[in-house]
Amino acid sequence: MATLSRSQPELGARPAAAGTGLTGASPAPRPTSPPNVLAAAPSPHGVLAETAPAGRELGFYIHMPFCAKRCYYCSFNTAPMDAGAMLRYLGALHREVELLSTLPWAGDVTLATVFFGGGTPSLLAADEVAEILAALRTRFPVVADAEVSVECNPESVSREKFEGYRQAGVNRISLGIQSLDDTLLPRLGRLHSARDARAAFEAARAAGCANVSVDIMYGLPGLDLAGWTGAVQRVLDWQPDHLSAYGLTLDAGSLWGVTGVAGLPPEGLVVEQYWALARAATAHGFEHYEVSNYARPGFRSRHNQIYWRAAEYLAAGPGACAFVGDVRCGNAKPVPRYCETLERGALPIAESERLTPRQRLGERLILGLRTADGVPAGWLTERLAGDPARQGRVDDWERAGLLARTGARVALSEAGFLVSDALFVELL
Amino acid sequence: MTLARTRNFSIVAHIDHGKSTLADRLLALTGTMDAKKAVDQVLDSMDLERERGITIKAHTVRLLYRARDGAEYTLNLIDTPGHVDFSYEVSRALAACEGALLIIDAAQGIEAQTLANYYLALDANLTIVPVINKIDLPAADVEGTRNQITEILDLDGDEALAISAKYGTGVPDVLEAIVARIPPPQGDPEAPLKALVFDSFYDSYQGGVVYVRLTDGRVRPGARILLMSNSRTYDVQQVGVFTPEMRPVDELSAGQVGYLTASIKRVADAKVGETITEAARPTAEAFPGYRDAKPMVFAGLYPIEDTDYEALRDALEKLRLNDPAFSFEPETSLALGYGFRCGFLGLLHMEIVQERLEREFNLSLIVTAPSVRYKVVTTAGEVQEIDNPSKLPTPDRIERLEEPYVRSSIFAPTEFMTAIYKLAQDKRGEHRSLEYVGRGVRIQFDFPLAEIVIDFYDKLKSISRGYASFDYEFANFRPSDLVKLDILLNGDSVDALSIIVHRDKAYEKGKALVEKLRAVIPRQLFEVAIQAAIGSRVIARETVKAMGKNVTAKCYGGDITRKRKLLERQKEGKKRMKQVGKVEVPQEAFLTVLKS
Repeated sequence: MATLSRSQPELGARPAAAGTGLTGASPAPRPTSPPNVLAAAPSPHGVLAETAPAGRELGFYIHMPFCAKRCYYCSFNTAPMDAGAMLRYLGALHREVELLSTLPWAGDVTLATVFFGGGTPSLLAADEVAEILAALRTRFPVVADAEVSVECNPESVSREKFEGYRQAGVNRISLGIQSLDDTLLPRLGRLHSARDARAAFEAARAAGCANVSVDIMYGLPGLDLAGWTGAVQRVLDWQPDHLSAYGLTLDAGSLWGVTGVAGLPPEGLVVEQYWALARAATAHGFEHYEVSNYARPGFRSRHNQIYWRAAEYLAAGPGACAFVGDVRCGNAKPVPRYCETLERGALPIAESERLTPRQRLGERLILGLRTADGVPAGWLTERLAGDPARQGRVDDWERAGLLARTGARVALSEAGFLVSDALFVELL
Repeated sequence: MTLARTRNFSIVAHIDHGKSTLADRLLALTGTMDAKKAVDQVLDSMDLERERGITIKAHTVRLLYRARDGAEYTLNLIDTPGHVDFSYEVSRALAACEGALLIIDAAQGIEAQTLANYYLALDANLTIVPVINKIDLPAADVEGTRNQITEILDLDGDEALAISAKYGTGVPDVLEAIVARIPPPQGDPEAPLKALVFDSFYDSYQGGVVYVRLTDGRVRPGARILLMSNSRTYDVQQVGVFTPEMRPVDELSAGQVGYLTASIKRVADAKVGETITEAARPTAEAFPGYRDAKPMVFAGLYPIEDTDYEALRDALEKLRLNDPAFSFEPETSLALGYGFRCGFLGLLHMEIVQERLEREFNLSLIVTAPSVRYKVVTTAGEVQEIDNPSKLPTPDRIERLEEPYVRSSIFAPTEFMTAIYKLAQDKRGEHRSLEYVGRGVRIQFDFPLAEIVIDFYDKLKSISRGYASFDYEFANFRPSDLVKLDILLNGDSVDALSIIVHRDKAYEKGKALVEKLRAVIPRQLFEVAIQAAIGSRVIARETVKAMGKNVTAKCYGGDITRKRKLLERQKEGKKRMKQVGKVEVPQEAFLTVLKS
């Protein structure tokens, strides 16, 4: 197993915050661990200077941590919205893009996608997004038809903002609506109504956004089957291009993960909600191309597919994670520390791990099998070689119709998606 | 060194009443070891013993004490194991003593094991010196404890010593009391050698090291000795005492306690309770009460990883060298593959062996439901002994089944009699006798061994608020109406889960068993039917529903590492599962059988 170690170049006074992503869950770093050696090195690039991308086209993730209010189910790295902090963050972000572009191998890469995630990226003004994208384009070659996405919340957008985003080069909007139930929305900690959600969607369309995705959630407390199918139907009637539907998970880093929440539906009902959505989306011409994602033909999220193909991506912003070569590394999560480190001229990498070939194969399998495309059958064969017991268990998945071979590829069925972690435990 | 200046004693107590602390104090006070070393409680030397707060192996140590009368005394402290599985070993260790210190916690007063140990010491005709410990505690009630000693134990509470072993208060008086109150050993150094083996261990250089108490005669290196139970002879290589390190001496003589080595290859050749004498001039009679410590309970031990089979065998070999009451032989199970049938004194013994295998040898094991050894008379007139229920012949080939019975003694205050009789009835006990002893009763029952090996002692302790003591020994085999109860997972019988039960209890047991299994078998991709059956008749059924949902909703970017780690943790848990047919069965399922 690769060691996950903390490297805190030029700074180490404050401990990294625990939470999601690359947490420092591993034991003390081994003395031979490469990132540790680098911690003492003068390079402002840390572990990223010690690796090189295997491919030429990379994704670029930008984390915008600020939120007007943190949703109760959310476990991502967020910070309360504050104008001063935002200004400082933007400065640091530009420094980070600049520093990344001076990596020894930066000249060899082209960006194929850019994704603004959060947090609430739609708190960024159009000109702020434009400046960031301009900086990226100055520093990195970007492919002509690059996918540029921004996650938006209904209460922080308008037709004008969408138009501004479009002019800045944004060509994909991911709208987080989560629910269309006005009694449920405030219980999730959301600041908008169902009407606001609809209005935001229409505003995006009116602004000429041709690729709009909608995020919704099921398995929510108090959500019954009728409520869910109704919401799904309404959302489908809007005719979005892409749909992400997440079953509620009580993550440790969320408020609900800590306090618990009453009224969660029984597992059987959550399963019914999964199938109700799968059936309705398919009937509307969507393909169920990943465990929680549906797209009209040609509208899959290219950026997210980079993750599921275990391909490479750069990242900027507090807590943002990059994957280059065999290194996955994550930035410091607290916004002040993120900013300070960049202000001193170093990348704010707080955690990193170097994947062993075995771990890489495991990840390629468990990420690839999240998608309807699946993985080359040879990967599975390689993983199961010399382990007849495990091979037998995986064969059972095929016999049960959960896993299927198509030509030289193998993929989970929709029924298989629903229990996929049980297979992934076998494949790691 | 004369017999008049020798004292052989043990310390007995309820758990946590301060036995080890007092032992350390005595060692430090007599300069047997320096105070710093004494910080480690030397007597309970195995990790496992310290954790469980019980002594598994007996230990012994010689203290040299200059008493207030100016004379130097040799005090041999013989430590005893502390659990019913080892009651025979306790009785032999006590037989090597003339007296016992009975420690009572001043704050807790007399408790269950205080009483049980008191009776054991009485049985061994020991002089009992009551010692009230922990008088430094704010909750200490010395006077109340004295009254208890007088009322419950029928000893003179006013003569009890009041001490704090922790701070050393009163401990010098304990040493004086050992000298003054415990009688010196009797014996004739000129008579033929007669020595009792009360413990042994295996040393890879010297072979079996045997702990002995001499009652008559003397023994030196070069002497030819005879073991009376098996008529084997050996040449003594070394004799010595424990200081507590082993220290060779020229000679051990009547009344003394020490060890001897004689190239004894296995400790099983010189078992606890054995009488050692001179080959040329044997003593007339062996010590009474020798019992060939035989395994009473049998269970299959299987490696979770098939590749660990050889490692398991090596580990079992090593354990057997040091443990005469433990046996093993290879066996195979349709469900579990290759493993070993192992024999134990009782359940605690089994758990200890399992823990040592997992801890000291780093093996992951499945332990099957324990079984006693049954006698089968077949229709062809053959007599077979069966210690694995799956080996039982089909009913049409069985003429008669017999099960082992034990004769047991229970000591308890009279107020618990009703509850004890009820428990005995539940456990198919046959009442034999009742006598009043002091302020309690001693009841004898005959029990089917199968009824008492598993949780009887725990139940007895619970219904008597811990006051009842329990001891048993094998009596005989008796015909019994027994049936084999099979457990089926999705229609396939799992041999490792089969048990033999009395027909009257089969239904209740089968029902309890499938309920427990349903709780421990995790959900799988498919529904799992758990059935209990006698022959082809299903008597109970439960279902583990198929897994409905087991999915990570979001998996993007940096979260990949965290998700992978979560799955890796689950994978670690899966390593404790054994695949039986298509069903993954966790380790604990096999032990569920005995806890239902």
